[in-house]
Amino acid sequence: MKRILAFVCLVFMVGVVFANGNNESSANEEVTLSVLWFNDGNESDIFLDTVSDYLEANPNIKIDLQLVSFGDYDKQLKLMIAGGSPPDIARVTTSHVATFSNSLLPLNDKIADFDSYIDPFNKASLAFATKPNGEIVALPTEATANGMIVNVDLFTNAGIDIKTLSKTWTWDDWYAAMKTVVEKNEGLNYGLGFDFSPHRWSTLLYAAGGRFVNEGGTAMDFDSPETVDTLKFFKKLHDEKLIPPSIWMGSENPQELFQAGLVASHIGGSWVINKYNSSITAFKWAAVNMPKRKIRSSVAGGKFIASFKGAENEAEAVKLMMHFSDQEHNAIYCKETFNLSARTDANITFESRSEDFNIMAEDLAMTPALTAEDWKSPVLGKIYSYIREQIIEGLLENQTMEESAKNIQAKGNEAFK
Amino acid sequence: MATKKRAASSFHQIKAPLLFLAPNVIIFIIFIIYPALSGIKMSFYDWSILGDTAFAGFSNYKYLINDEMFWKTLGNSLRFVVMVVPLLTIAALGVALLVAGHEKGIGLYRGLYYIPTLLSFVIVGISWRWLLGDEIGVINYIIKLSGGTPQRWLTSPLMANISLVFITVWCQTGFYMVMFVGGLQAIPGSLYEAAKIDGANTWQMFTKIKFPMIRPTTLVVMVLATINAFKAFELIFVLTKGGPGVSTKFLVQNIYQVAFEEDKLGYAAAQAVILMMVIGILTFVQFKLNGKEHDNE
Repeated sequence: MKRILAFVCLVFMVGVVFANGNNESSANEEVTLSVLWFNDGNESDIFLDTVSDYLEANPNIKIDLQLVSFGDYDKQLKLMIAGGSPPDIARVTTSHVATFSNSLLPLNDKIADFDSYIDPFNKASLAFATKPNGEIVALPTEATANGMIVNVDLFTNAGIDIKTLSKTWTWDDWYAAMKTVVEKNEGLNYGLGFDFSPHRWSTLLYAAGGRFVNEGGTAMDFDSPETVDTLKFFKKLHDEKLIPPSIWMGSENPQELFQAGLVASHIGGSWVINKYNSSITAFKWAAVNMPKRKIRSSVAGGKFIASFKGAENEAEAVKLMMHFSDQEHNAIYCKETFNLSARTDANITFESRSEDFNIMAEDLAMTPALTAEDWKSPVLGKIYSYIREQIIEGLLENQTMEESAKNIQAKGNEAFK
Repeated sequence: MATKKRAASSFHQIKAPLLFLAPNVIIFIIFIIYPALSGIKMSFYDWSILGDTAFAGFSNYKYLINDEMFWKTLGNSLRFVVMVVPLLTIAALGVALLVAGHEKGIGLYRGLYYIPTLLSFVIVGISWRWLLGDEIGVINYIIKLSGGTPQRWLTSPLMANISLVFITVWCQTGFYMVMFVGGLQAIPGSLYEAAKIDGANTWQMFTKIKFPMIRPTTLVVMVLATINAFKAFELIFVLTKGGPGVSTKFLVQNIYQVAFEEDKLGYAAAQAVILMMVIGILTFVQFKLNGKEHDNE
């Protein structure tokens, strides 16, 4: 019996010694931060390059970067959060922030002198990351805009000075110009590659004076004359073959169509400047201002980094996020990824295409705040595919565009309940 | 002594088989039965991935009645099953009849027909999308070069459905062919010899010997093809995303969307329970019909 007691005591003492040892070494303990990331281009590589100095200065910190395709990203995050093992850090979009706001780690108490720290960030970007109770749950990295890129050569061939025309053009001017471009360029069948995305489609909606969600974000405000007008205009562009049916009805990639010279222009996100800068050499291209309808509008958006409640290495995650988001490192990251910075104090001179960024920034400056209010709503994330399906059902004439608008309104309101 | 013998016999006849079965049964219970029961339980709850969970009684099932998207996608699934299963069975049987012999080199052909089965549905989907694209698809490019009119393979609802059926049959024929080959090779050679002596031609040999003898295999093929067609998801998601519109959106995709996009796991589970019941009923009917034909004979 005594021997057993002595053995138990020995085990207990060894345990205590090891436990104390662990506490003492916790400052230099190796920490592996799990980082979940998606790429528009090569952002994950540039993220790692940008934080390499931090990792050198803190050799005990390692990064386990998990790359997930954007299509699966939302589901992956949901499953990780629901499974109780969220990543330490994740790259998130405005819609992710809206969907996961209750699971994201509020940063207000985690960063010393928080108000001064966040002051230099773009207010519109911060608005996406701010919960109604004032908690800020993500740090903005890049600001994004929806914009139009054109194949300048095709317009020049058609005798159109696109740079001058686009300074003040309306959608009617755009329509007339596009008809000419398609007519005058032999072999060109289509005018516009339009991303297969309700977010990109909403650029037309806002220009027409419509919106998805009411002021206050409590119900849908979609079933309006402006919406129906936008939907019908979108259908007209399809019916008249200005937009190829293969994008919205067949999931062909508009970026590939634009790069192949098969469409004269592309409405996409500002991040395509990065992609086109390296991939298009066969023709001259440029960003142009969005045409005006009732107003000229882009759609504000952005990317953020965030940590999660219950993350294994919360404190270290916040330190790395702060480092990555400071003025110096944010500028490096945005310059290398060809993105607009989400910091107002960013002083970035892009090696090329600065003019294109300026044009998108101009559009962003004209964009009403309600675009951000709309896309902050978690409901739009829940009905995203449904919106897309209903627009296509209208394009296929399986239902009228009025019915599409009504269905989306009803589905959204149901999700609000 | 007699008691000992009885005990040993009882061990060999009852306990030993149970022991050998145990690992599989345990795995089956953990990975199939338990999740299935959890799914049924979940269908009676308002269950959100990120939010709260509350008992909802039959409300998820009541909601199904008026859910247009549920009925639309269930209808699409049924139509797909009706088109795919007979075609797949005929194609697999046809190929099996061609490669079922023991001639030299026939194994190579069997291997070739089986290759598409080894490919992941995602790879099959991406490859076919690249082939069938309207503007940058290889097939339309060839049609244009030969002076023909490009087709809207994936952007017209009718053509998208036909393309999906064709690709599904193409990539699954090899799998079912192997089953038919097994069935055909199990037919005793003496039957063929007797038929030859009686002067039977190839068609008569097929209708009077081969087809009746492989009827159990045919039933298994049809049941498995039905289940797989109902469960089809990856290929369609990659190839058409359920489009154009919702014309190739099947019930499984709707369940996925409701669960992970709309965050209504309970409602998605209710749809999955209905799908399970539909598959169960169809399988039961197929077995019953097969049993009846046997009785008639």
